[in-house]
Order: sequence, then structure tokens, then C-alpha cells
Amino acid sequence: MSSPVSPSVTQLPAASEQEARIKHLPAEARAAFQRFQTGGDTAGLDPVIFAILQDFIPLAPAVPLHEQPGTTRLIDELGFDSLSITEVVFFTEDLFGITITNEEIIQVRTLDDLRGFIHRKVAVRAKR
Amino acid sequence: MAAPPGMSSLPVITGLGFITSIGNDRPTVLRSLRELRHGFEPMEFFGNPNLPVKVAGTIKGFAFPTANWRDWTWPDKFAVDRELLRGLAPHGVYALCALQQALTDAGLEAAALTDGATGLFCASAGSPLLLGHFLDQMHATRGERGNPMGIVSSIAGTLNFNLAAHYKITGAVCGFVSACASSSHALGYAMDEIRLGRQQRMLVVGAEDMTAESIIAFSSLRALSHNPDPVTASRPFDVRRDGFVGTGGAVALIVEDAALARQRGAHIYAELAGWGQAGDGHSVAASHPEGAGLREAMRRALADARVNAAEIDYVNAHATSTVAGDRSEALALHGVFTANHAKPRISSTKALTGHGLSLAGAMEAAFCALAIEEQFIPGAAHLEETDPVCAGLDLPRTSLDEAPRLVLNNSSGFGGSNVCHVLRRPS
Repeated sequence: MSSPVSPSVTQLPAASEQEARIKHLPAEARAAFQRFQTGGDTAGLDPVIFAILQDFIPLAPAVPLHEQPGTTRLIDELGFDSLSITEVVFFTEDLFGITITNEEIIQVRTLDDLRGFIHRKVAVRAKR
Repeated sequence: MAAPPGMSSLPVITGLGFITSIGNDRPTVLRSLRELRHGFEPMEFFGNPNLPVKVAGTIKGFAFPTANWRDWTWPDKFAVDRELLRGLAPHGVYALCALQQALTDAGLEAAALTDGATGLFCASAGSPLLLGHFLDQMHATRGERGNPMGIVSSIAGTLNFNLAAHYKITGAVCGFVSACASSSHALGYAMDEIRLGRQQRMLVVGAEDMTAESIIAFSSLRALSHNPDPVTASRPFDVRRDGFVGTGGAVALIVEDAALARQRGAHIYAELAGWGQAGDGHSVAASHPEGAGLREAMRRALADARVNAAEIDYVNAHATSTVAGDRSEALALHGVFTANHAKPRISSTKALTGHGLSLAGAMEAAFCALAIEEQFIPGAAHLEETDPVCAGLDLPRTSLDEAPRLVLNNSSGFGGSNVCHVLRRPS
């Protein structure tokens, strides 16, 4: 008989743990995340999202991600593979305390898809 | 071009790469071997001053302070792509750097490795550091989280998984697991791939992490030296030896069919004349008290190379500086050499490097190739008072300017696996 398992990893970690998690991201991304933590500013999260993508992209792109068109496809054009997408998903889930299912992430194809998806997820989380 | 059917191709070594405690390039390693410069430093494992193990064979210029690759550093001269790094253990970084060196040394471009004629045999024990980290994460999240690269970066086999994919190897790919004989097995079977005409070129890589998790595990076996002095902690065959000093790193060897090597004008360090292996049939961890398996492995290697014991000029002993292991090997050496009135020079270079575990066999085969190439015999460093069991064995205290023609390389691992190679000066 299996015992019920409550979701543990979607609990938002302590602020200090969050800071350690993003200590390697650029200052702009860390500042944006701090604004989100202190004031709930979800609209300004793009630097964080781009920094996470930049961190896990297998091969650095010639043009910075934030300068790429929103229609740029993650796998076909940016070279993400299923492993690096999974790394992005896990990191994002842990950072924002959200849950992303395989069914949801499979619908995410482009940079704009991902930005919109994370914004919606985080906004729902912030209202709780 | 491979030898015609029925004729055995001759495997030769055409490239070497070193990331070791005694140097991260061939000139430094050569100087260390010639001048008997050791690679040990004081080490406080786990930040615990109570641990009795105080010394390690450190790998200079590399740092792996955490399980997170973002915290890892390595010398700028080596290229380690982010795409590859995410699947590597610390010893995978060492291995990549060693292989880059070896390929350059052999005059080979990566593009030459993809046509199916090149294979890759590797050996490591995996990464206890990473495996422990990933299992901790799994327990902490009750299975809800895992690093997608967790398995391929941490288990035994991580070297061949990563390097085969990175270099697009389409020939034979395999990892070998026989503890401290692992990379000797990799080299032996690589020789066979060439001799059987299955492959024309083999990349052989041995590597290990140099972390507390990899080394202190041997403390509970009482296999590690408690001597805090880096100058004397590792002293194979000395009566005061009290255990081995751990090390990590990586060594890569490029092994090619001699005909192919000559055709492309490659430099040949040494011929791989033969190899042999035999089990002790005795204990899961301890050496056979009379060195029975190692004695038989040496005999089989000599027979495979079609040479007599008296023709061997130098033996690179496995001797790790443990009380029982060195004694066992000394008895095995007596059985093969003294009993046949043969007296080759003998030394264990682990006196300088420490014991590299899965890495040891490939590292020492590469040292043997250097000795042949550079016409010297590494001395038995740190040997002050020779164990009486070694009476009659020739253990030179300093390196000798003698050009060995035939060299024997010994390795032994857990479960009584014993593997020996015979290397020969190129004809």
C-alpha cells in the first residue's frame, strides 16, 4: 500500500536559499528576482527568464536571447534538447515554487510561449 | 591499413595525455619521473581534522569544491563546453583535458575519429561525489526531483558515455570496471581490438575524481596511509609503509595499428607487445598472500608477448604502499623473475603519484611508454629501508639513464583481478 505523498518541492524555498540558487545569474536578473520577491513584480521577470535560458542553453547563441525575436523556437532554432528543457523546467519550478507538467511544457515552442507560460504560472502562484 | 586476415596487427602507442598529481602535461610528468618529484600535498578531508588521513595526490590547476559544475574551475588552456560539462563528473573534466592532449600529441583531429575505425575504451569508478549529491536530492524531494544528467554524469561508464558522444565515436565503445585494474583491462582489450583487426585505432582513457568521497571510502578498509608527511606517506616496498595515498586525474593513450601509424607518419612511443590477466580466486578485497594471480598474469603477458622473464628490463609494479599488497607483489615478482634468475629494474611510481585506482593502470602504462621513449627507468622513490621480502629484487633508489627495451606494467584490483602489459621499444 502506498502512502499519500504531499507535494514537497513546490513549497517556495526560503529567501536565502533562493538567493544562493541564482547567485551565478547576472546582476540584472538577480535584481529583477528580488523585486519579484519583495514586491510581487511578476511583469518584470523577463531578465530572470532569459538568464535561466542562457544558463542552460547547450551552445551559446550568436545573438543574445533577449535580442532574439519572440517567435524564435527553443529546440529548432536555439538548440535546446529535451535534457536542457528539463533542466530549465526543474530550475524554474524550484525558483518560483510552481509546478510544470510534461503536458504543459510540450506546448511551449518559442521564447514568447515560454515567457507567457511562466508569467501566467507565477502570477497564479503570487495570488495564493 | 589493417594486417591481412590471419596476421595479427601490432598495436602501438602514438599519443599520450596527462592530468596527474605529478603534472598536467608530458614535460612536467617526465621531469617528475626523472627527478622523483612527488605530487602530494597536505589535505584535510571533509574539513575534519580528526581524520587520520592527511595527504593526497592533488591535481593542480583544477578545483571541484561542490557538486555544482558552475563552481568548477580548470586551466584556461583546455576547452570544456557547457554542452558537455553538464554531463561530466570531475574526473570527466580531467579525462576530456587528457584526451585533448593525447589527440594533439598523436597529430589527430577530432574529425578523424568518426568513421567507425576508431573505438573508445574507458575506466573509472564513477563519481561518488555526484552520486551522493543526486541521491541526497532524490531523498530530500522524495523522488520528485532529479538532475536529468544525474545518471550519465555519476555512474561508472560516465567517461565512455560522454566522450563517445562528444567525439562522435562509431567504433567499439565500452567501460571497464575491475577497480584498480580497470584501465589496465581497457588497454589490454584495446590491444585486442587492434590485433583482431576490429579497429584501427583505440582511445583508452582512465580517470578518477580526486575528492574526499572517492578516497576516504578506503579508510574503512584500513588501506590508506596515516602518515602526515607528504615526503614519506607513499613508500612502496619500504618496511614502514602503512597504506596508500589517494589521487585522481586522468590519462589518455592513443593506440593504433602500427601500419596505420606508419602510413600517416605518426610518432610511435612504444609497441604493445602483449598482455595477460589472471584472477586470484581468493578474496573480495585482499591480495592473494603469495601473489598467485599476479604471478600468473605476468607469465601470461610474457607468453603473449613471446618474451622471457630475463628479457624484461623494467617492471612498473602495482605496489600501492600497503603492507599486504606490496608483500604479495614482491612474492609474485620472485616467482616470475628471481626463480628464473632474472633481475629487472623494479619501481612503483605510486610513490610519486599516489594510487589512482581505476586510473592507475593506464597512467602507469603511459609512464612506461615515456620511459621507453625517453630512455630512462623511474626510480623507487621514498624507499629507505627495503622490506626483507624484496631481497633479491632490484629496486633502484634513483631514476636511471638506462634505455629499457622491454617493460612490464602490473596492475591488481579488487576481487583479485590482475592485469599486466608488455611494452616494447619500437623496432
